[in-house]
Amino acid sequence: MKTTLRQLRRTALVYGAYAGMVPKLFLAYSSWVWMNFIVQGVGLVIFVAFWRAIYAEQDLIGGLDLQQTLNYIILAQIFLPAVHSAGTIYYFGELLREGRVGIELLRPLDFQGANYAANLADMALGLVVQLPLAAVAWIFFRFTLPSDPLIWIAFAITLLMGNTALFFFDWILACISFYSTETWGLTVLRFGAAQFFSGALIPLVMMPEWLARLAGALPFAQALYMPVSLLSGVTPLSEAPTIWMMQLLYILGLGLLSRLVFRVSVRRVTVQGG
Amino acid sequence: MVPSMRRYTSLYWFFLLQRFKILMEYRANFLIGASSSVIMQGAGVLAIWVVMRQVPGLNGWTLPEIWLIYGLLTLSKSLNHMFADNLWTLGQAYVRTGMFDRFLVRPINPLFHLLADRFCHDGVGNFLVGLVLVLVAAPAVEVAWTPLNILYLLIAVLSGGLIFVSLNLITSVSAFWVMNSVPVVRVVFEMHEFAKYPLSIYPRAIGLLLTLLIPYGFAAFYPASYLLGRDVPAALAWGAPLVAAVLFFIAYQVWLFGLRHYGSTGT
Amino acid sequence: MTVIEAVNLAKVYRLAQKDPGLFGAARALVRPHHVDKVAVDGINFSVQGGETVGYIGVNGAGKSTTIKMLTGILVPTRGTVRVLGRDPHRERVANAREIGVVFGQRSQLWWDLAFIESLNLIARIYELPRPRYTLLLEQFVEMLELKELLHVPIRNMSLGQKMRAELAATLIHEPQIVYLDEPTIGLDLIVKERIRAFIRQQNREKGTTILLTTHDIGDIEELCRRVMIIDRGRLIYDGPLQTIKERFGKYREMTFETALPALEVELPAGAELVHAEDRTLHLRFDRTAISASRVASHIMNQAEVVDFSLAEPDLSMIVKQLYRGEA
Repeated sequence: MKTTLRQLRRTALVYGAYAGMVPKLFLAYSSWVWMNFIVQGVGLVIFVAFWRAIYAEQDLIGGLDLQQTLNYIILAQIFLPAVHSAGTIYYFGELLREGRVGIELLRPLDFQGANYAANLADMALGLVVQLPLAAVAWIFFRFTLPSDPLIWIAFAITLLMGNTALFFFDWILACISFYSTETWGLTVLRFGAAQFFSGALIPLVMMPEWLARLAGALPFAQALYMPVSLLSGVTPLSEAPTIWMMQLLYILGLGLLSRLVFRVSVRRVTVQGG
Repeated sequence: MVPSMRRYTSLYWFFLLQRFKILMEYRANFLIGASSSVIMQGAGVLAIWVVMRQVPGLNGWTLPEIWLIYGLLTLSKSLNHMFADNLWTLGQAYVRTGMFDRFLVRPINPLFHLLADRFCHDGVGNFLVGLVLVLVAAPAVEVAWTPLNILYLLIAVLSGGLIFVSLNLITSVSAFWVMNSVPVVRVVFEMHEFAKYPLSIYPRAIGLLLTLLIPYGFAAFYPASYLLGRDVPAALAWGAPLVAAVLFFIAYQVWLFGLRHYGSTGT
Repeated sequence: MTVIEAVNLAKVYRLAQKDPGLFGAARALVRPHHVDKVAVDGINFSVQGGETVGYIGVNGAGKSTTIKMLTGILVPTRGTVRVLGRDPHRERVANAREIGVVFGQRSQLWWDLAFIESLNLIARIYELPRPRYTLLLEQFVEMLELKELLHVPIRNMSLGQKMRAELAATLIHEPQIVYLDEPTIGLDLIVKERIRAFIRQQNREKGTTILLTTHDIGDIEELCRRVMIIDRGRLIYDGPLQTIKERFGKYREMTFETALPALEVELPAGAELVHAEDRTLHLRFDRTAISASRVASHIMNQAEVVDFSLAEPDLSMIVKQLYRGEA
């Protein structure tokens, strides 16, 4: 019992150290943080102006009024790091370019596990860095947050599970970089798809039936729309268990698939000696 | 002047030719790159479509009219993306690595060399999206497509492209002083997002900003307003080429200033 | 004819000083303070057409900065430089036509392009007349053995192949002056020889002026009749390769063979032991402090010397001393 505990602690420390790398790297690029703040601030101003102009024509769209929509959009923009945190594709490309895949695989820890830890740290840090944006948004646009702690808990669970599912999805996508040498385009491609299908631009309820169904089937919405719609009240709390069931299926399915795909595609590099 | 124009034009074609040879070698990358920008733009376009199909208009602008503005801006942007994308990497890929020294010991204009060195294929996707939007909008808006109006549109797009290039040039010169110029370039560049929509939906200050200081308004909104018969002062309707020329002149002076200071921090 | 002339040439870099820690970083934002670093400190020299000059010094002594000012990349802080009568920065384009530059490890060729495509592009940039270009290309291909490399992209070349390609690309427009920054670094002997032979030939046949910076003494000895040594921004030597040895060969080395084991021998002041084996004594002495005959007689008084020899000072030894700051 005691030894397993010690073992666990040691494992946690190793993964923790791995995850701890992320904030250090991030702080080294503090100018990027300011850049993101301004870029997202510009985005918020545009969103608000756009939706105000839209709602000047009509009171309800997709069953939501102006305040609900703005609330949702602002929160979605604040929690955006949940969909855009994983730099897995780019990271794989870097490993390949520098021929470091073999070395990384030799480390005494699970490669995917370590990357997942880094991904979580990345998201957490990404959210912390969003605080100034949240503050500014609150001062200028007054979004509302729920007071019911249950909603917050449900939100946190959904966010974590959705991000996990998306991590596995990204992992599969990143494996493409073993076959194509370019990862920048792939990253932009994934970013573009995530931008729309995650519900970062418009809530899924406003989409026409077929589009909403497509967006719901892709894992991007799991990481953003599902948690944020709970938090902003677009989705009632009673639907949370259904969402979790769905997310669990995503995690299991994508998790298994990601390990399989990785094993097949990494052979390409290790055999050929990248 | 004229012989050097001819020389640079033919040289540019030669650079372009070499670039395509490389791109064809990595065909998958070419396709991924070009379609990546289509998807990026597509996300924004799709979002507007989803919302605007449920309402009659946006601040008095119909959906096709929005497409026209959005399309013109995307076309201008694509010119910058295709022909001047290397400005983004000036710091990282050229100054920091010392590759920029190369340009300075060759008997051609270093700015030309920098821009010609890499035609960016990702911009082709932007160009296509912009073109499709304008073509979709054209028959649906109330504009008589006379040759004169088409010419006006062309000039607007070219001027818009030059405005994009000039602003990126001004900000990327910071690469001669700071390690990483991308954040500075990006922050100013990102202001173009405002100009995808009618400027009339924003607070007045933003409209002024996009007209006087960071004049992306001239890339799409003012020309489109003029064509659509909105009430626009003549200076704004016809100002684009002049604004672009003046801005480029300023940007080039900033560039020359940067060149004189290049390397003053040592390596 | 004087092709390069530097008068009081100096370059001072302004470096932003960053204090450690968050507080330091914040202060640097508000009130950055700078430190002046003198890279080149008022040097004077001139180079005649057709000369081959070796330019040596430790890393950071100011070699690269000088080359960058001569090529027009950097603007001097003080002094003037004329290359073929022009200010290389103000008349950068005109100057660029007449010079060729090899920047050591940094290739001027396009990474993903086949070598021949890179060459074609360069021929376009320098506006080489087609027949001349074809002729030179043929010659270079033969001299540098480039035939198999013409259709290989630079990214797939070995270091030696890259440098051969680089030289061809640098000299294809027949520049009057060529600046070579570490052209043989990291190459094997055979490639080094080929590259040196090529440079020698260009100098002999076309009268190309060569300014070569290197850490490789072999390059200097085989290519340069004149050497300039820069140390902390100042020229400390400018003259023929021969006299350098006389001037800087402060230490000489001497070897004695003794009849009996001579481990207990006491050395005269100004001499020190390099190596001793049971019947061999290898020592070096400062020739400004003690003469060779005094050292020899001092040893001979203590032990029976069977044989002794005085080593000729070679350049590599001198350079090593210079670099160690023993000049």
